Amino acid sequence: MRSFSLIFKQFSRSVLLIVGFAFWGFSAAYAQTDAAKGETIFKSKCTACHKVDQIMTGPALGPQLTEETDDKYLTKWIQNNQALIAAGNPKALAIVKKFDGKAMTTFTELSDADVGNVIAYVRADWKQIQDDKAKAPAGGAVAEDKGPSELVVWGLIGIIVIAFIVILVLNKVVGTLERLLLKNKNLVIEDEPVAVDEHGNAVDKNALLKKILKNKKLVFFILLCGTIAMGSWGWVTLWNTNVHQGYQPVQPIKYSHELHAGTMKIDCQYCHTGAYKSKNASIPSLNVCMNCHKVVKTESPEIHKIYDALGYDPKTQKYDSTAAKPIQWVRVHNLPDLAYFNHSQHVKVGGIKCQTCHGPVETMKEVYQYSPLTMKWCIQCHKRTEVNAKGNAYYDSILAAHDKIKKGEKVTAAVLGGIECGKCHY
Amino acid sequence: MDSNKKYWKGLEELNRTPEFVEKNKNEFAEPIPIEDLLSGSGLSAKTPRRDFLKALGFGVGAVTLAACQKVPVHKSIPYLIKPEEVTPGVANYYSSTYEGQAILVKTREGRPIKVEGNPNDVFAKGGLSAQGQASVLDLYDVNRTQDPKINGADAAWPEVDAFVLRELAAVAAAGKGIRIVTSTIHSPSTLAVIADFVAKYPTAKHINYDAVSYTGIIQANQNSFGKAVLPHYNFDKAEVIVSFGADFLGTWISPEEFTRQYVSNRNGKSLEAKKMSRHIQFETGMSMTGTNADNRYPIKPSEEGIALLSLYNAIAGAGLAGSKKLSNKAVDNAITLAAKELLAAKGKALVVAGSNDVATQTLVNAINSLLGSYGNTIDLNNPSKQYAGNDQDFAGFVSELSNGSVGAVLFLNANPAYDYFKAKEFTDALKKVRLKISFSDHADETALLSNVVAPNHHYLESWGDANAVEGYYTVVQPTINPVYNTRQAEHSLLVWGENPVKDYYTYVRNNWDKGLLAKAGLSGQKGWETLLQTGMIKTAPVAATSYTFSHDLNAVAQTIIDHSNSLVSGDSFELQVYQSVAMGDGKRANNPWLQELPDPVSKVTWDNFAAMSIADIQKLKYEEGDVIKIEANGYTVELPVLAQPGQAQGTISIAVGYGRQSAGPVGNNVGENAFPFYSYRNGTFQTTAIIKSFAKTGRISTLAQTQTHHSYEGRSVIREASFTAYKKNPAAGSGNEGEHKDYNKESLWDDHDRPVYDWVMAIDLNACTGCGACIVACSAENNIPVVGKDEVKRRREMHWIRIDRYYSYNDNGESEKAVTKEDEIAKLTNFDNVSVVHQPMLCQHCDHAPCETVCPVLATVHSSEGLNQMAYNRCIGTRYCANNCPYKVRRFNWFNYWNDSRFDNYLNNEHTQLVLNPDVTTRFRGVMEKCSMCVQRIQAGKLKAKIEKRPLKDGEIQVACQQTCSANAIVFGNRNDKTSEVYKALQSERTYYVLEELNVQPGIGYQVKVRNLNELEA
Repeated sequence: MRSFSLIFKQFSRSVLLIVGFAFWGFSAAYAQTDAAKGETIFKSKCTACHKVDQIMTGPALGPQLTEETDDKYLTKWIQNNQALIAAGNPKALAIVKKFDGKAMTTFTELSDADVGNVIAYVRADWKQIQDDKAKAPAGGAVAEDKGPSELVVWGLIGIIVIAFIVILVLNKVVGTLERLLLKNKNLVIEDEPVAVDEHGNAVDKNALLKKILKNKKLVFFILLCGTIAMGSWGWVTLWNTNVHQGYQPVQPIKYSHELHAGTMKIDCQYCHTGAYKSKNASIPSLNVCMNCHKVVKTESPEIHKIYDALGYDPKTQKYDSTAAKPIQWVRVHNLPDLAYFNHSQHVKVGGIKCQTCHGPVETMKEVYQYSPLTMKWCIQCHKRTEVNAKGNAYYDSILAAHDKIKKGEKVTAAVLGGIECGKCHY
Repeated sequence: MDSNKKYWKGLEELNRTPEFVEKNKNEFAEPIPIEDLLSGSGLSAKTPRRDFLKALGFGVGAVTLAACQKVPVHKSIPYLIKPEEVTPGVANYYSSTYEGQAILVKTREGRPIKVEGNPNDVFAKGGLSAQGQASVLDLYDVNRTQDPKINGADAAWPEVDAFVLRELAAVAAAGKGIRIVTSTIHSPSTLAVIADFVAKYPTAKHINYDAVSYTGIIQANQNSFGKAVLPHYNFDKAEVIVSFGADFLGTWISPEEFTRQYVSNRNGKSLEAKKMSRHIQFETGMSMTGTNADNRYPIKPSEEGIALLSLYNAIAGAGLAGSKKLSNKAVDNAITLAAKELLAAKGKALVVAGSNDVATQTLVNAINSLLGSYGNTIDLNNPSKQYAGNDQDFAGFVSELSNGSVGAVLFLNANPAYDYFKAKEFTDALKKVRLKISFSDHADETALLSNVVAPNHHYLESWGDANAVEGYYTVVQPTINPVYNTRQAEHSLLVWGENPVKDYYTYVRNNWDKGLLAKAGLSGQKGWETLLQTGMIKTAPVAATSYTFSHDLNAVAQTIIDHSNSLVSGDSFELQVYQSVAMGDGKRANNPWLQELPDPVSKVTWDNFAAMSIADIQKLKYEEGDVIKIEANGYTVELPVLAQPGQAQGTISIAVGYGRQSAGPVGNNVGENAFPFYSYRNGTFQTTAIIKSFAKTGRISTLAQTQTHHSYEGRSVIREASFTAYKKNPAAGSGNEGEHKDYNKESLWDDHDRPVYDWVMAIDLNACTGCGACIVACSAENNIPVVGKDEVKRRREMHWIRIDRYYSYNDNGESEKAVTKEDEIAKLTNFDNVSVVHQPMLCQHCDHAPCETVCPVLATVHSSEGLNQMAYNRCIGTRYCANNCPYKVRRFNWFNYWNDSRFDNYLNNEHTQLVLNPDVTTRFRGVMEKCSMCVQRIQAGKLKAKIEKRPLKDGEIQVACQQTCSANAIVFGNRNDKTSEVYKALQSERTYYVLEELNVQPGIGYQVKVRNLNELEA
């Protein structure tokens, strides 16, 4: 069942990817000439105050520019909004009012074509974001991951129910046919005389039970179902012993990856500095938190846990190392000691995204174990993942040597010995 | 053509004693009582069926309950404020100094886990001794003194300071002497601290005291050339080396340096240039250096002086008054020949003697002067500072103690209550001293007698510097915060000397800023940081000049003859006291890695013994292991006998460094103390004595000797050739001459693809001296457990690499023809003249590995990089692999050594476990383990190259045993890379594979041992 769901996941993922690419290709072709230039200008001139999908100092440009279709007005506004305001353009006055009279920088140096490009880029990007959002519920990794396995379970239950009905019906049919046959042979058997007392019903019920119990096929079928159900439950339980997929312990500080990595878009490496250079991605030391939280959210009780741990007094802004007490996080991802895993090999050399193994961390309020972290899971990936050898001189001679033996074969981690015992167990 | 020369590891193997044959047939040293169980009460006993069912039910229930246990919650505790240079999971290396030698300390998450030689070190160029490797374990010794003490009770440092200052003031006021007794200090800063202390207390005096002393040499140089120094020897410049009892590869002055120098004239490169030094050794007990000699002659201690006189006479062509001929013809002949060879190599010759006798060393100086050694092989201008102990000063100090003129004594790294030969006299005299301070970090014999114990840091916690040889300055920097409430001795001296600078780090900085940094053109903070990175400065050496000996030798000769006569009395035996390679002077006796390191020659662990010649043992009808009582110099010990081939007849050798009473639980009562056999003569300690009596006690004490634990059933595994034969044909003796058999023609196994890497090793038997540093390095790198004496006796030592030591007969040492035929061996009774080969043996990573074939669970499999891998978690412990391994290199874990109270002396505490290498799993009970070719280092090396996006370089990955080898006997690398060192080494004509005929295709090639036998005679 597990492998089926995995294959299904893989399949659905690749279908999604193809669809996504196709989409992207289309939109890209459509807006290519403008958008590429527009993106450069956008990034150099606009990002200080604007985001496509979020309100920053200025409005979120995506919806703003999509709603407003008058490109001429937009061009004028972007090039010299002060002139428009002075001229008393109603649209201009409205937006200024909305943002408390904050003025926007003028960009008189931009040509009409430049502004056009920027607008094109923002619209395309916004559309892309909208599309992604629309797609997400249908094929977002999390929702879709649970899907197939549930589907399978319900499918199985359905099959069992249908089978049960079929058997009942068949049973009935067989019974009727038998009776017909007997009738034809004039061997009609009258129904057994039912012991009826004055109250009647209770006796009836017992009789029904007796009748059911006498139906050997039915009993056999029920027993069979029971055995199968218990057997599969037992199998799944044993198979998943010590597999802690979904493990989501309560942490001493309510730290939200959704907020930091998702909303704030802080790069994973900002905190997990080890991922690119060490075997441990490492939990950040508290001084990393303090880079921001010395000034951000200083009133939050959760942040005060950091202060307490550091022996930091926010009023005097002084550290007292004698009062410091390290925070004991609960490890979510526990590989056994007997397996050697190195983050830098995978992240830096392999170029694998954190999310591939850790899941959509940017949506997790509290982190849970996304992958099973079983050896099978490791090996599967090693068998399927092509080695990221591009531009890495280390692999030049290695690939050449492999090419001599097996021409044209996909070079996966496994081909380079990535599933040998001694690669992880020593 | 395989050589059929007979090699043997031990007498029991040679003689095929019934016990040995029986023992070797069995898998285990002791029979496993399975038969008893099956045949005896086990099965036939009336175990009622119900009881069985009860037990079964209870067992199943218990297991089920145990299995229901929740998975433990793992906590992860990050740094509060992470130091910038620390990345969890990545090792940092810091340069530091171990006993004057520049080292690199590997730290992980702030704790040192391994010590490695610094490749730029002038002594061993990256090599490090077994003791150096083991020193990191001492840091985690739970038996270190954890707090300062006053009169045996824990005290705080301020209390100690107040107490000591008050007492010192009182002593100074009374005008009584203050003595600082240390083992040799060559640290410029420590010497300055002591000088400052002496300036503060004018009655103070610094006394250098070395348990194993070189005063004889220093004094002789003073007498001969007016320079009271220990010379710097250059064995690499010597073509002919004659040593009289100097174990210069094992223990003498600077063994790591000498090993590197010595081997540079005997390794593959030198042989290819058709050059090989010649080494002749005259000695009493078989030393490690003796095992490496081309010719070795056993002589009695009393003969040493006479032999040297004969050598002098032969070289000088003169007859010194009183000199006589040696009674031993063979030795006499050898001396004459040695003299000829030395003269022929004038200017490239070197004579050394291990004696601590001034007269003997003066004679050696005279010989070296005649040979033109000074300025060539001996450098007096850039002297060594490794030993400066002055025996006379110490003897004077003891008499000062007795007459009550000393008011305070401070002991720094000195433990005379254990290692002074008249310990009783010393301890009695010490009672008269008002203030006794010990800086020892262990409650050692002297610390127990002191009223103040001010525990010193371990050197990995300390700041400091060293100047082991003129012009070579190294820095000591801490790699961890002090683990216990200890304080650096120099710091204490600064406080007690009321120095304006109280902090020793500042003191060292100032001292370097004052002049030392400038020597390397460095200055200021930047210069200091550069120093911390490089770890050393070297100044250009002064040109070594020639010295000529021009004194009258007659008096010297007379002293030598008198001394020699004093060792002879009828048929009495003579005693030689020596240092063992593993234990040295016994300062590190509490180190289990060193205790379990088999002695390079005797292969005995966890003990010292009385080594006797086989002829004597046969004559006296002793058996090995018989405990004998030996009396000499008024001291008696009881020690088991060891039959030592090559031991001079009529002599007994005993190692010092054992018999500690207060070393700690590991070192206490291991063996017997041999220091009291020392005597004091003509101003120096003497290591030889005449044995008054010795006799069997009737007790038997089996030695934990590893030499015959792993048997090849008499198959030939050693190949050797003489240098003459090698010069004629480089393939001589290797079995590679003529048509080479292709064993691979008929093979049971499929070949493995090794497209990219093929990790192999080349081991040069001619470079390996057998010192055993690789064994300790491997233990440190791969978390190899220590099993203890009892388990070693059961053949359960866990070392992944061992050094097999093979003896072979020479007929009588005068021709190079070795004895090969069985019937000739039977005729031989002379065990005096044997030659020795050391062979490091570890998993051969066979391409057709027999172990892999028999593993029922595929726990041991082959990799595409030519490694034979071991997956511990798959192993179910059938031990089939060990049985099927022709090299006997697989080890079985009989216990959870890190969690078993029987092994308390090693890892069974959380603190000591911090020394474990986190990149290597600790194996659990019931699994096999063996050499992995340091796969963790291979993987790390590859990853580094990948991250840096460049191809892997040859030599970038070094395995632990290779790295620590001062002789560079081990080369590791990728055989597929035709430019690699290992490929070149394996292409050598000398290369052979052990048990090649089995067609297991071993991945480790050995290079034939070459002996430079007596050419003059040939």
